[in-house]
Amino acid sequence: MADFEEDAGKLTVKVVYYGPAQSGKTTNLLRLHDLPGPQLKGEIMTLETRNDRTLFFDLLPMGLRAPSGLLIKLRLFTVPGQVAHDGTRKAILSRADGVVFVADSHRNQTTNNAESFDNLMHNAARVGLDFARLPLVIQFNTRDLPQDVLVPEDAIRNDWRQAPWPLMFSSALQGAGVHATFASLLEVLYGALDAEFELGRRHQLDRQAFVSGLCGSGTTESGS
Amino acid sequence: MSAVDRNFPLQDLVGPSLRGRLQSRLDLLTGVHTALADLHGTLLWGALPAGNSYRIPVELELEPVGHLIAACETPDRLKAAAGLLEMILQQRAQYLMAADLHLEAVQSDYESLLAKHAELEASEARLRVLSRQLEDRVREQVDLIEARQRQLYESERLAAVGQLAAGVAHEINNPIGFVRSNLVTAKRYVASLAELHDAISKSSSSGVRALSDRLDLGFIVEDFGVLLDDCVQGADRIARIVSDLKSFASIDGAEYERFDLGEKLVAVCGMVEAALPPGVSLTCRVDDGSLQVKGHVGHLNQALFNILRNAVQAVRDHGKVSVRAEREGDRVRIEIEDDGEGMTAEVRRRAFEPFFSTRDVGAGTGLGLTVARDAVRAHEGQIEIDSAPGRGCRVRIQLPVVTP
Ligand SMILES: Nc1nc2c(ncn2[C@@H]2O[C@H](COP(=O)(O)OP(=O)(O)OP(=O)(O)O)[C@@H](O)[C@H]2O)c(=O)[nH]1
Ligand SMILES: Nc1ncnc2c1ncn2[C@@H]1O[C@H](COP(=O)(O)OP(=O)(O)O)[C@@H](O)[C@H]1O
Ligand SMILES: [Mg+2]
Ligand SMILES: [Mg+2]
Repeated sequence: MADFEEDAGKLTVKVVYYGPAQSGKTTNLLRLHDLPGPQLKGEIMTLETRNDRTLFFDLLPMGLRAPSGLLIKLRLFTVPGQVAHDGTRKAILSRADGVVFVADSHRNQTTNNAESFDNLMHNAARVGLDFARLPLVIQFNTRDLPQDVLVPEDAIRNDWRQAPWPLMFSSALQGAGVHATFASLLEVLYGALDAEFELGRRHQLDRQAFVSGLCGSGTTESGS
Repeated sequence: MSAVDRNFPLQDLVGPSLRGRLQSRLDLLTGVHTALADLHGTLLWGALPAGNSYRIPVELELEPVGHLIAACETPDRLKAAAGLLEMILQQRAQYLMAADLHLEAVQSDYESLLAKHAELEASEARLRVLSRQLEDRVREQVDLIEARQRQLYESERLAAVGQLAAGVAHEINNPIGFVRSNLVTAKRYVASLAELHDAISKSSSSGVRALSDRLDLGFIVEDFGVLLDDCVQGADRIARIVSDLKSFASIDGAEYERFDLGEKLVAVCGMVEAALPPGVSLTCRVDDGSLQVKGHVGHLNQALFNILRNAVQAVRDHGKVSVRAEREGDRVRIEIEDDGEGMTAEVRRRAFEPFFSTRDVGAGTGLGLTVARDAVRAHEGQIEIDSAPGRGCRVRIQLPVVTP
C-alpha cells in the first residue's frame, strides 16, 4: 500500500523487481539509474554482492512533483532471487504497489521462472497482497543470448496469451527494454494510484505526465 | 511494517558514538565549526553560529533529513561536507535496513520452521498413537484368536473325551451291575456249599471224606467267600470310577450351572487315585457343602484335573500330593500341592504359555495350565503358582462362591 503523508505532501510508492536468481533484476535497476529519465533521481543502493548476487536488496529512489506540489516518491527494490533468501523476499514484497517480474529467457531456466512466479504468488498471499489487482508486468530478459539457447518469443507469447499482464522483452545488459518495461508498469500503476489518491483530479497529474515524469519521454527502445 | 519501509530519523542514522568523530573531522575539513540540526531544529552536534551562516540541506532518498550549518565565507566546502555526510547517511540507512531485514527474514524463517516443526511433531505424535493403537488391536486380536483356538481345541477334546467316557460308562454300568448282583448271589451259594462241606465231613462214607480232604474243600469254601467279597469290592470300585468319569466329563452340562465344587474335587481325586503308583499318597481335604460355585462343570473339572495330573507327574514314583479346598469369605480357595521336583524360575514364568512343555515330545501338549488358567479366568477367578526347584509346587486357585 502506498504511503500517503498528507502533512508532508508526500506519497511513497513501492515497486519490486521480482524473479529467479541471475535473471537481471539488479541490472534493470542499474540501467534505470544510468539512463536519464525521472525528474528526481536519488542514489542507488546496492548491497554488497557476492559473485554479483544480491544478498538483501537493491534500492533506487526516484520521484516527481505533481502540479499540486505533491511529491511522489518511487522506491524501486530488487529482491534476492536465490531460493534460500525467501524470508528476505517476503519482507521486501510486503506493501508493494507494483511488481516487475524479471524472467530469464534461457531455455534451461524455464522451471526456475515458473517456480519463482509461484513463489511470487505465494508470498503475495502471505503478505496480504491481492494478486489479482496487483499492478504487474512480465519481463523476459536476456533476449541478446544466442538464438539456440533462447526460448523463442512466439513460444513465450503463446504460453502467456491468457495472462492479463503486459509482456515485455528486454536485454538489460544492453539497456534494451528496461525503460519500456518500467513505463508499462507505470501505466498500470497510475490507474491504481489514481483510483485511490485521485492523482488526476486532486493533483492535476495525468497518466502521461506521470509516466514521462518518472521515465522520461522519448525513449527509443521497443517493448511488446 | 517491513524494515525497508521504515523512515530512519537523523538521530538513528547518526548515532551518539558517530557524532563526535564525524563532527571533529568535518570541522577539520571545512575549517569552521559546524552544527548538525535535524528537521525540527534539534542540534545533533555543535552550536548555532551567531550572525550570518549557511544552512546546507542534507538529503537522503531525495528528501532533506537535516541541515549542516556553519558561519563561513563561501558555502563550497560546507556543501562538499554535506555531500560526504549524505554518502555516510546512505551507507548507514542501507546497513540499518539490511540488518533489520535480516532479523525479520531470520525471524520469519524461524517461525515457519517452528510451525513446520510443530506440524511434524503433531503428525508424529498422531502416528505414534495410531501405531500404538494398532499394536494393541493386533495383540488383542491375536490373543483372542489364540484363546478361541485353545477353547475350540479343548472343547472338542473335552467333548470327545466326554462322549467316550459316557459311552464307556454306559457300556460298563450294565455288565458291572449284573456282575455285582451275580457275585452277591454267588456269595449266598457259598453258604450252601459250606453246609454241604459240613455234611460231608460228618459223612460215614470214608471215600467221600477222603475226596473232600484231597480237594481241600474246607479251604476252598472258606476262601471262596473271601474271593467273592474282594470281587464285590472291586466291582463297587469300578462302579464308582465310572460314575466319577461321568461326572467329570459332564457332557450334559454345557451351560453354566450351580454345583458343589468340593464334590467335583473329590471325584477328580478319585479318578487320579485309581492310577496312582504305590509310593505316592494323595490326600484330599474338602469343606463339606459350603463350596457352591456357578459355572461350567466340565471346564472346571478339566482345570483341576490338569493341575492334579501335573502334581502327580512331578512327584514321579514317590511323594505326597495334597488337595485342599476351603471357603474364605466370598471365595473358594483351592490349593493343590506336591513335594515333587518343582519349577525353575524360567519354567514358572512360562508355565501358562500355550504349548510350553518340558516333557518329552508327545508326553505333554503344554496346554494343561493354559487351559486351566483360561477356565479359571472365565469364572472370574485367579490362579497362581508358587514353586522353586527341589521345593515342590503349589497351585492356588480362587473362585467366587455363590451365596444361596
Ligand atoms: N547476456 C545478458 N546477461 C545479462 C542480462 N541481464 C543481466 N545479465 C547478467 O546476468 C548476471 C546476473 O544479473 P543480475 O542483474 O545481477 O541478476 P539478479 O536477477 O539481480 O540476480 P540475483 O540478485 O542473484 O537474484 C550478471 O552477470 C549480468 O551482467 C541480459 O539481458 N543479457
Ligand atoms: N506341579 C508341577 N511341578 C513341576 N513342574 C510343573 C508342575 N506343573 C507344571 N509344571 C511344568 O509346567 C509345564 C507346563 O505344564 P502344562 O501346561 O500342564 O503342560 P504339560 O504338562 O503338557 O507339559 C510342564 O511341562 C512342567 O515343566
Ligand atoms: Mg540482484
Ligand atoms: Mg500338564
